[in-house]
Amino acid sequence: MDSVPSSGASQFLANLPSRGTFTSPSIFSHQGGMRVYVCDHETTPPEGQHIKTNQQNILIRALKLKNVSDNSKKRTAEKALGASAKKPNNQTNSQQEGSNSQTSNRNFQSLTVERLRALLRAKGLPTKGKKEELITRLKDADGSA
Amino acid sequence: MSTWNYVVTAHKPTNVTHSCVGNFTSPQDLNLIVAKCTRIEIHLLTAHGLQSILDVPLYGRIATLELFRPHGEAQDFLFIATERYKFCVLQWDTETSELVTRSMGDVSDRIGRPTDNGQIGIIDPDCRLIGLHLYDGLFKVIPFDNKGQLKEAFNIRLEELQVLDIKFLYGCPKPTIVVLYQDNKDARHVKTYEVALKDKDFVEGPWSHNNLDNGADLLIPVPSPLCGVLIIGEENIVYCSADGFKAIPIRPSITKAYGRVDPDGSRYLLGDHTGSLSLLVITHEKEKVTALKIEPLGETSIASTISYLDNAFVYIGSSYGDSQLIKLNLQPDAKGCYVEVLERYVNLGPIVDFCVVDLERQGQGQVVTCSGAYKDGSLRVVRNGIGINEQASVELQGIKGMWSLRSSTDDPFDTFLVVSFISETRILAMNLEDELEETEIEGFCSQVQTLFCHDAVHNQLVQVTSNSARLVSSTTRELLNEWNAPSGFSVNVATANATQVLLATGGGHLVYLEIGEGVLQEVKHAQLEFEISCLDINPIGENPNQSHLAAVGMWTDISVRLFSLPDLNLITKEHLGGEIIPRSVLLCAFEGISYLLCALGDGHLLNFMLNTSTGELTDRKKVSLGTQPITLRTFSSKSTTHVFAASDRPTVIYSSNKKLLYSNVNLKEVSHMCPFNSAAFPDSLAIAKEGELTIGTIDDIQKLHIRSIPLGEHARRICHQEQTRTFAICSLKYNSSSAEESEMHFVRLLDDQTFDFISVYSLDTYEYGCFIISCSFSDDNNVYYCVGTAYVLPEENEPTKGRILVFSVEEGKLQLIAEKETKGAVYCLNAFNGKLLAAINQKIQLYKWVLREDGTHELQSECGHHGHILALYVQTRGDFIVVGDLMKSISLLMYKHEEGAIEERARDYNANWMSAVEILDDDIYLGAENSFNLFTVRKNSEGATDEERGRLEVAGEYHLGEFVNRFRHGSLVMRLPDSDVGQIPTVIFGTINGVIGVIASLPHEQYVFLEKLQSSLRKVIKGVGGLSHEQWRSFNNEKKTVEARNFLDGDLIESFLDLNRNKMDEISKAMDVSVEELAKRVEELTRLH
Repeated sequence: MDSVPSSGASQFLANLPSRGTFTSPSIFSHQGGMRVYVCDHETTPPEGQHIKTNQQNILIRALKLKNVSDNSKKRTAEKALGASAKKPNNQTNSQQEGSNSQTSNRNFQSLTVERLRALLRAKGLPTKGKKEELITRLKDADGSA
Repeated sequence: MSTWNYVVTAHKPTNVTHSCVGNFTSPQDLNLIVAKCTRIEIHLLTAHGLQSILDVPLYGRIATLELFRPHGEAQDFLFIATERYKFCVLQWDTETSELVTRSMGDVSDRIGRPTDNGQIGIIDPDCRLIGLHLYDGLFKVIPFDNKGQLKEAFNIRLEELQVLDIKFLYGCPKPTIVVLYQDNKDARHVKTYEVALKDKDFVEGPWSHNNLDNGADLLIPVPSPLCGVLIIGEENIVYCSADGFKAIPIRPSITKAYGRVDPDGSRYLLGDHTGSLSLLVITHEKEKVTALKIEPLGETSIASTISYLDNAFVYIGSSYGDSQLIKLNLQPDAKGCYVEVLERYVNLGPIVDFCVVDLERQGQGQVVTCSGAYKDGSLRVVRNGIGINEQASVELQGIKGMWSLRSSTDDPFDTFLVVSFISETRILAMNLEDELEETEIEGFCSQVQTLFCHDAVHNQLVQVTSNSARLVSSTTRELLNEWNAPSGFSVNVATANATQVLLATGGGHLVYLEIGEGVLQEVKHAQLEFEISCLDINPIGENPNQSHLAAVGMWTDISVRLFSLPDLNLITKEHLGGEIIPRSVLLCAFEGISYLLCALGDGHLLNFMLNTSTGELTDRKKVSLGTQPITLRTFSSKSTTHVFAASDRPTVIYSSNKKLLYSNVNLKEVSHMCPFNSAAFPDSLAIAKEGELTIGTIDDIQKLHIRSIPLGEHARRICHQEQTRTFAICSLKYNSSSAEESEMHFVRLLDDQTFDFISVYSLDTYEYGCFIISCSFSDDNNVYYCVGTAYVLPEENEPTKGRILVFSVEEGKLQLIAEKETKGAVYCLNAFNGKLLAAINQKIQLYKWVLREDGTHELQSECGHHGHILALYVQTRGDFIVVGDLMKSISLLMYKHEEGAIEERARDYNANWMSAVEILDDDIYLGAENSFNLFTVRKNSEGATDEERGRLEVAGEYHLGEFVNRFRHGSLVMRLPDSDVGQIPTVIFGTINGVIGVIASLPHEQYVFLEKLQSSLRKVIKGVGGLSHEQWRSFNNEKKTVEARNFLDGDLIESFLDLNRNKMDEISKAMDVSVEELAKRVEELTRLH
């Protein structure tokens, strides 16, 4: 036999959240005649928002990630060893480029915007604008220097 | 029927699978979003309740639905994933009121085993990623970038293979999931993982917990500051977090749904499998959980989703019964229940079985479904058209017209009902006992027929007879003024509104009077060349008492004309064509559009769009409503105006989405109708029919009318017996009160009018009622109900024993006449050549009805056919037997009379797991299978070799997106012999989601035309969320995916009528067919359902 507990759920039903709707004493819903949506506008998502799954096999990805992390460990280790351990055909030659004021236009073109910005920042120049502008700015700075 | 089929929904899905609340349509709006399998509904929460905004069809079956708020956004976005591995993120554009696709994609993987426990789609509370669990052993992550855009998805290997639930935890510095899983020893555990987005991998999470309740099935993440997770089991509830653990025992129950009440997560609503609702309370001190408490609140429908709305109101979405809007009361009612059900939203699902009957013998089919499950089981009577609920009726012969009048202009209610006969007029009024009583209005002339009556301004009434127009005070009831017809002329037709009277006498005279205070003044007179057949001056302009247009129908030249008032200048003349005169004209306005309706003497109705300022008539349309002259009258129901067309097939004309719709009224011949809104019978209609005057209210104006007959138990099979006017059902009742859950199975007999249980036969313990038919046997004039049963024993995988029971109905009681034991479950029964054909496990068995020496009958086995996995569905036609197998698609058998044997003729070699079969015609068979597809196969009788003839060739394929449980030949609509659609054969189907659909076989020419229209529409009507219609309708199961063929999507085709004019023109151009022609052909199709 379930008798109604004297305290019951009442004590817990107080102060139910209210955000200002369902306040009228007579609640009735307008259900009938709901408008059926006919979608006659373009529904393809904005560019880059058509999501696909990375097709790389999980195992291969795991191995690669491991490899990369190993590499980066190595690299940090190399850095820790200092510049003396530099290999002749080192890919990270931005330092050299930054210091080398004789960098040609072609070299600037081959650099990424990020890199160019870093160079500008190093010279204390503004870093905004398109790639072309950045290159001109760098060249101007070089010329004046 | 034919291979060219048109599939259309007559009743949309009503099974609510998901719901959520958030600010979707604007930052200020609070919305309830409800998913009904292939549709979502958007509602607005208002002070007065739920207001529905939009019903959105989706090209997919919704697997998950979530609202979320990306960083920096003012309103919520909607994330939807479909069962066929598509997902989309939708945003509501407040300015255009359109759904905009923010992103979408395909999340399927080429390898992977689909999960057994349903797809899971979850969003990190801090909006860093979307997580999906679609395949065993894989967790898919779609990360957000810092601008709230989605990035390329990737999979992470999940060690746990039997996942029961996954949720994101709140308040974690790194996105963290909690996984509830079962190990290979069937023990259940939870585990947490952090998602390392950079490494695209899991990192072991902060905590885990082993050996939970064996029924633990649901996780509820608790928001900050408490954090952690609630694990809901069958016998206890556990709160778990990194530094806390609390558990409470609960009454054994399976929790099906939960809803969070407070934003901080201190209270939750839980709904279980028996429909009881409980409140789970987390008591806490600061951020430390101190205890859990659970309190039962009361009973609702069995919930599949619970959404706390606002101010103690809760939405209960249900798959097994009606969904509900409930209120949680602070104080319990007499039964100790805190739940008050305020509204119910009809749900037909799951439709397990149904039959098509014509109970009122009107020539129109009604569908009676076995709906709902467990305690929410019910029968639903679904019919096309609108019902009248009779409240009072009197016998009165020869009614020629009826009008209701008020006793004063300000009175909100009608007092008098004027009933006109051929040579007298009687006035009825409500007396103090709320009875209709004959009374008198002294100023009225009651010795002659009344042509028209109306309330007039200044507390006056106007009556028009063949001799005069009389103006009478409604308070003193005395004659104030009279206009007499010129001598030698009598008034033939008349009409009036509150300030104007228009009447026509013989000889084509049109007279216009105006009503003043105590004066009736002739203002204008016009002579037309022909006799006038009908008139109308119903005000549709701004002034509700006055019209500036008059519609006039003419004899001889068969035209309808518009005149200006008061000067009676001809504005427009429209020839109707043909030889049938207009019998009734009506000016009316629906949803802000004015129309002129013109009813002809042969039951046709013409409608025109009316430009009220120029009087121009456009968009002429003709429909056939019946065969007798129609009388048109407006009335109001729920403060909307509709038109009642009284005729041999009474119809209500109403407007929805700015389209005129026609709905049958479930009455036979109605000669006259007038609204009669009296205090005792508010919002009622007075209806004159077949020597009877009826007062009744009208059902909600909608196309399908559904009557519910709650059973309190689960009906699984139904059939109707015409001769005894009864239904018989196989049903089961769950008994959950005792400790051991038990089921009781019954065969019940119901009256087909009252739906009362009139007799019952209890089946044995463990015996299930599997099938029921009404049939008769050769050499026996009686009709019987035959019931097939199965003994479902817990230790057996497949039943090895069953029975066939033969009942007759004697004096309203089920009498067992014969019974036959079988060696398996009797899945299907068919009347077959005066014998009984049964499908018993893997065998088809034919029984003959034999008279024994003692005068009793018995079933005797004649022959059989082996060779099926499980023969579940059988249909017959002549000597042919079509079998739907559990997993071996459709096969065709044939009964050979001479040899007394059943042989296989042909089969479909595809591996379809069948859910229903039907024979369309001699050569074409229709099947539905369990991946929600439809297909047709064709018998190849012209094949050159035996091998070819032995193959059923697949003719049509289509993805319906619905699980069909039953096909039946029949129609939901009245078939008018003169309309084109009257000739189209149809099959009705019923599904788990509560869909009732129609499959119509079209002539080839029409099919080709509509196929072209469908492909044009695909270019104009886009799938919401960028989902593709072509992909959606392509036949798809585990084995193959092929493009749909020989089936057309009627829902898409009929949405042509909802397009705006520009888009219609676009399609018209592409099709090289005029918009009018297209609209006409599509409108015709809408009358199939």
